[in-house]
Amino acid sequence: MTDDLIDGPGDGVGRVLGTADATPLTFWTAVSPGSYLQLDDVVVTRRELPDREPVTIAGVVTQVRARHEGAQFDSDVFAIADGTLPAQVQEAAEVTTTRVDPEFYVPPTPGAVVHRAEGDARARALHFDRMERRIPMGMGRDGVPVYLNADFLDGTRGAHVSISGISGVATKTSFATFLLYSVFRSGVLGGDAVNAKALIFNVKGEDLLFLDHPNARLDDATRAGYAKLGLAAGAFPDVRVHAPPRVGDSSGTPDVSSRLTGVDSFYWTLSEFCADRLLPYVFADADDERQQYTMVVHSVAAHLARYAQPADGGVSIDGVRLGSYADLVDHIVEQLNDDETRGDWAGSAVGLGTVNAFARRLIGSKKDLGRLIRGDLATRRPHSINTSESAQVTVVDLHNLPDRAQRFVVGVTLKSEFERKEKAGTAKPLLFVVLDELNKYAPREGSSPIKEVLLDIAERGRSLGVILVGAQQTASEVERRIVTNSAIRVVGRLDPAEASRPEYGFLPPAQRQRALLAKPGTMFVNQPDIPVPLCLEFPFPAWATRVSEAGRAPSETLRSITQAADPFAVVGSGTADDDIPF
Amino acid sequence: MRFYVDAWDPAYGASFEAAGGGGPAAPSSAQVDADVELPATDWRAIGARPDVVAPDVVLLVDGVRRIDASVWTAEDDGGSYPGIAASYAAGVVRCDLDRGAAELAGSKVGRGLFTASPSAQDVVAGSIRYPVHRVGGTGELSKLPAAVQAPLTALEVAVSDAVRTDGDLLVVDGPLRSRRNLPRTLGYIKTQHSQYLDARLTTVVTGLAPGQRCPVFRLGTAWGGYSWYLRLPVAGGAPWAGIVRMECSAELTETEAIELADLSLVTLPRFASSPYKDPRAPQNLIPIAGLERRLRGLLGDARLLHRVLIGAARAGRR
Repeated sequence: MTDDLIDGPGDGVGRVLGTADATPLTFWTAVSPGSYLQLDDVVVTRRELPDREPVTIAGVVTQVRARHEGAQFDSDVFAIADGTLPAQVQEAAEVTTTRVDPEFYVPPTPGAVVHRAEGDARARALHFDRMERRIPMGMGRDGVPVYLNADFLDGTRGAHVSISGISGVATKTSFATFLLYSVFRSGVLGGDAVNAKALIFNVKGEDLLFLDHPNARLDDATRAGYAKLGLAAGAFPDVRVHAPPRVGDSSGTPDVSSRLTGVDSFYWTLSEFCADRLLPYVFADADDERQQYTMVVHSVAAHLARYAQPADGGVSIDGVRLGSYADLVDHIVEQLNDDETRGDWAGSAVGLGTVNAFARRLIGSKKDLGRLIRGDLATRRPHSINTSESAQVTVVDLHNLPDRAQRFVVGVTLKSEFERKEKAGTAKPLLFVVLDELNKYAPREGSSPIKEVLLDIAERGRSLGVILVGAQQTASEVERRIVTNSAIRVVGRLDPAEASRPEYGFLPPAQRQRALLAKPGTMFVNQPDIPVPLCLEFPFPAWATRVSEAGRAPSETLRSITQAADPFAVVGSGTADDDIPF
Repeated sequence: MRFYVDAWDPAYGASFEAAGGGGPAAPSSAQVDADVELPATDWRAIGARPDVVAPDVVLLVDGVRRIDASVWTAEDDGGSYPGIAASYAAGVVRCDLDRGAAELAGSKVGRGLFTASPSAQDVVAGSIRYPVHRVGGTGELSKLPAAVQAPLTALEVAVSDAVRTDGDLLVVDGPLRSRRNLPRTLGYIKTQHSQYLDARLTTVVTGLAPGQRCPVFRLGTAWGGYSWYLRLPVAGGAPWAGIVRMECSAELTETEAIELADLSLVTLPRFASSPYKDPRAPQNLIPIAGLERRLRGLLGDARLLHRVLIGAARAGRR
């Protein structure tokens, strides 16, 4: 390219080059000397047409390259650097089209000036101008906010978010919480945001237990970053934390080590366990579903629902009072071993081997679930997880629980929340469910009661206002129907082997490569509006993500557990004389 | 104007690239004064002088030419003249050895229709124009390529004038000819067609080690001037391998000519090309090779121009 070609009209960053094919969907741009283009830069060019208005072609830079023109051999670079061989360094950028306006798919003319898109042109190129409600997600590489179309998050036109990436580096949970913060605080959802609820399962460490504590390491630069996104930097204002009861503690105090105040313990009473038929969730492993004893599980659950009578915290079955989960298990096993009663409990056509397999696993669950299913605590004491009566953000801490118990809690909680939304019949208020390790709860192979609930949410949640924000290390191991139902797909740092899977087909090759070295805080977000995933950096959390970051606790959490409970519920019940509200 | 484009690719018509790098074939009749630097009886190889340093900026000038098409004109009297449509380009590379950057400091492209036809007019095809260069005499096809040299040399002078700075050294590819008035200018002749020196002095030349030169001598030809041979770094031991002849203006004093000769000895060897990269190594200097590639690129695509000319010929006949 000669110099006079570059110094043409306009102050672009380059020109469409003609040595590679220019197509309506992707084209190469030669970068003018003294200019540069980096990945993710937004550019725009025009194509004049003879009989109609000019077409504006906008796109995102998906690859940049530089080479010595005039060099034939690799070793020529030494002669060039030595100053003996004349050569020109020429940079070129691959542009993937994001928008053609008007929609007239013609290639840009080689030689056409390419401009950097700024301001309105950038917003148009990335379809932000068509978004009626834009949720800020973070900053693009150019330091300008990048938005998410709220229509694809709140169920208007789509719902659900799928976040993939290596654990620890990909900052999946941080992004999910930032997204929630943005949804609640940006004001984009208007009145809906006030009533919208979030249910977050905390599976690793006590990371998410401090959402309502301001981050002590928050600095002015981060605050400015939040301000640029139109957000106030702060903690989540309205958070309720639920933790399982401590093992072996008869008073049911929550099992948390770092957060000492404002934590409620959650558990299910034996009568709830029997009446709500929660037994199948004890066998929520996909491995369990393949076994023959599923029949027995449902038959025993039905028997419990029919015959268990609430009795002062515990239940009484066939005249026997059972005060704990271990008692219940022992009773069931005893009844199953008895030839006379086995038929009533397990059904008649079940072999002894199958019954024994069931019994073996049921006994195995005693240790894991004993502290969650209680007969010794007051029934009237608030102990259930119910987002509609809870704070805006409900955090359920699972990290201390063994695998089987985690599945039980997730399965039962999701089921009850979904059933509640189903009964309400309206999509509003929205409920966001944040669940990490989705590949564990909804694996691609097999089926389990939890997977059924999650599939229900993925497929019908959109109309019922239940938005699943799922995170997983490997989207390839998650049930395909859940991934395909997610309108918004987010990718952080990926494992190299994982990145080549078809689940990430939405990433162009260059971005797929970049995802292998994405640093914490960098995400690639694909939304249905924009044909190219956007690379963004979301700001450092303004809330504490660990105890060392936690600033002063908000005043509400300094109240004791019993104060946090509704005092009138206790007083009005009149039965809990052992549970004085102060 | 009516003309026809020869269907043959012009490359088959007349190749006027210099033939390969053998030794000088024909003895020259030119008078040689061999006693400029050293008495002829005392001739010996001269190495680089340690106190001479290469200039920071070396400019190298070269031109390329290409026949885009051979044409035949159709005269009103029924006769016909041959002609060639040629593209030529000249450029100058500025090697800033201090900064370690070689760049194309200037380039110009010219085109022309070379013919003896009295009726010939400029050929215009789209944005491309071949102005007529009328050639004297009968205008045989075989003589026409040489006619391109004059405008090309003029173009080379024009581009090199534009980029001169103080303290630089200009190396012209080929004999100096009409360019001998440029200051600090060397002619660089890589193909030896004539044998200027007698047999005894020639043995001094063929006996040069790489990086050595023979003493300066003066040529008595019409384009005469000071001249010397030097051997570029070369692996083979053939007598004329890597030998180039350098020229400088006859108007310089003998001392100035010897200074230039010493300067050439410290400057040129580093530009020598390697055999596996360049078929004319080492004489075809690296910057010149790079420049020629760039210039050929600037000439435009030969097939495209051939097609354009055919189109113009067809339009002209209508």
